[in-house]
Amino acid sequence: MSGQTAIRIEHVGKRFGAGPLVLDDVNLDIAEGEFVCLLGASGCGKSTLLNLIAGLDRPTTGTIDVPAEGAAVMFQESALMPWLTAQANVELALRLRGVPRSTRASQARELLATVNLSDAAAKRPHELSGGMRQRVALARALAQDRPVLLMDEPFAALDAITRDLLHDELERVWRRTGRTIVFVTHNVREAARLGQRVVLLSSRPGRVAGEWRIDAAEGRRIESPEVAALSIEITAELRKEIRRNAA
Amino acid sequence: MPREQDPVGRVTTKERIETTGTTVGRVAAPEATRIETPDPGTSAPGLDALAGARHATDAGDDLRTLESGLDRLQTDAEHRPGLWRRFTTSVLPPIVFVVALLVAWQLYVVIAQPRPDLAPGPLDVAGALGDAWQSGRLQLAVATSLERGVVGFLIAVIVGTPLGLLLAEVKPLRRAVGPIISGLQVLPSVAWVPAAIIWFGLSDATVYFVVLMGAVPSIVNGLISGVDQVPPQLRRVGTVLGAGPGRLATLVVLPAALPGYVAGLKQGWAFSWRSLMAAEIIATGGTIGFGLGSMLDQSRELADLAGVLATIITILAIGILIELVVFAPLERRMLRRRGLLVERSR
Repeated sequence: MSGQTAIRIEHVGKRFGAGPLVLDDVNLDIAEGEFVCLLGASGCGKSTLLNLIAGLDRPTTGTIDVPAEGAAVMFQESALMPWLTAQANVELALRLRGVPRSTRASQARELLATVNLSDAAAKRPHELSGGMRQRVALARALAQDRPVLLMDEPFAALDAITRDLLHDELERVWRRTGRTIVFVTHNVREAARLGQRVVLLSSRPGRVAGEWRIDAAEGRRIESPEVAALSIEITAELRKEIRRNAA
Repeated sequence: MPREQDPVGRVTTKERIETTGTTVGRVAAPEATRIETPDPGTSAPGLDALAGARHATDAGDDLRTLESGLDRLQTDAEHRPGLWRRFTTSVLPPIVFVVALLVAWQLYVVIAQPRPDLAPGPLDVAGALGDAWQSGRLQLAVATSLERGVVGFLIAVIVGTPLGLLLAEVKPLRRAVGPIISGLQVLPSVAWVPAAIIWFGLSDATVYFVVLMGAVPSIVNGLISGVDQVPPQLRRVGTVLGAGPGRLATLVVLPAALPGYVAGLKQGWAFSWRSLMAAEIIATGGTIGFGLGSMLDQSRELADLAGVLATIITILAIGILIELVVFAPLERRMLRRRGLLVERSR
C-alpha cells in the first residue's frame, strides 16, 4: 500500500476476431499491495481483462503495464496436476521458476503450511476436497513469487462454508505477503467482503461502471453489516447495468 | 429485492451492533472464542465486524482449527481392498472357470471317446507340452519368440513415441499423416509378410518389420488420443507457471497423456505378439530362428493336434502373463494415483 502503481490499464479495448467489442476503453490503476475486486455480470469481460493482465492475451487497443516479474494466476478450477501430490504440485511451480532442486521440498512444505495444508502434502488432488485443492492452487500461485496475484473466480465452485473460510485465509495470506491481488468475481458479497476497492464492470461491452473504496480494516466478515450495506448499494448499480441490456 | 440476500438473523445482528457500539473496548475478548463455531450463521457477525483491532494470532489459530476440522469432514480415507479380497474378487474367478473348462473337456474325452487325432484330451495336450519341454524345443521356442516380441515391441515404442508426439503437436503433419496411421491400424500386419520376405528374405529383419508395422500405429494412435484428451486448463497452468514448449511437453503434456499412452502401449504389445506369431508361422526356414510360430507350423505338418493345441495354449498363456505382470499393475497404479480407478469391492 505504498501508493505506487503496480498495474496500469489505459484505454484498453478487446475484440475477438470480428466479434463484438468485449472491453471498451477500460481505465484502471491498481496500487502496489492493493486488493481489488473486479465485479460484473456474465459476459462483462472480467475474465478477459484478467487474461490480458496475465499476458495470456493481448489487448486490441490501449496498453497494460504490469510489473516485469509478471503475475501469478489462479483459476476457478484448481487445475492441479492429477498425477502429482500436493507438495509435488507446488514443487513444479518452484521448478519452473528455477528454484534449485535442493531447496524445493522445504519451500513447498513451507508454502503448504501457509495455507494450513501441512498434513496433506503427500495427498493427490483426487483425495482432497474442493477447498483444499484451491488452497494447494493458492500455495502454487504463491510459489511463483510474483508481486501480482490474479484470481479468476477461484471460490465460485465451493460451498458457502468453505468459501467463507477461504475468504479469511486469503485475507490473511494477502496481509502476510503484501501481494497485489486482482480478484474477479460475480458474487457481490464476496467482492464487498474481500476488496479494498470494488470495480464494477458493465456488460457488453465491458466498461468501468462504478468504483467503491472500502476503508474498513481487518475482520470484515461476509455477514458484517457494512458488507451487507455495501452489497445492497453495489447490487442496485449492477442491476441497473443489467437492465440496460434488456432494451 | 437485495434484502432477500440478507441473513435470517439480521434483526439480532443489528441489536448487537447497537449494544457493542458503546462497548468497543470489551469486544475483542469474547469475539475470539466465538469464531470457533464452524457454522458462520451462529457466530456473531456484528461483533466481528466492529472489532477492528483483532488479535491476529488468535484469529489465525482459530482459522487453522476451523480449516482442519472442515478438511477432516470433507475428505475420507481411501479404502484399499485387502489382499484376500482382491484374490477372491479378481484372481479366483478366472482360475475356477479354467479348471471347470478343463474338467468338462476331459469328461467329454472320457465319455464320448472321440478320435484322439481329431480331439485330444487335456492330458494328451499336457503330454505334448511335456514332450516339447523334454526335447528342449519348448524352451527354445518360447525364448526366441519372447525375445523377438520384447525387442520388437521396444523398437516400436522408441519409434512410435516421438512420432506420436510429433503428430499430436504439429497440426498440419497430423492432418496429412494421421488418417494413414489410423488406416494402418486396420490393415492386418500379416499382409506385410510377403512384401517383407521379398525385401529382407527369410531373416529376422522380416519378423521385426512385420512386428513394427503391427505395433507402431497402435502406439502412435494411443499417444495422439492421450494428448488430445489433456485438459486445456493444464496447458494453460503450465504456461502461466512459466513453462516453455519443451518443458510444457515433458512436465505437463506427456504425464497428462499417460493414460492414453499406456492404453496404446498395451494394444501395441498385443499387436506385436500377434504379428510375430503370424510372421513366424508363414516365414519359416532360412536364418529365421525357431519360435512358437515355427513350432506351431511344425506340429501342423506332423498332423500332431495335441502339439498344435499345446503351442496355442503356450502362446495364449504368455500373452496373458505379460498383460497380468506388466500392463495391469502399471495401469492400475497409474489410474489409482489419478483417482480414476473405482474400486469395485467398495
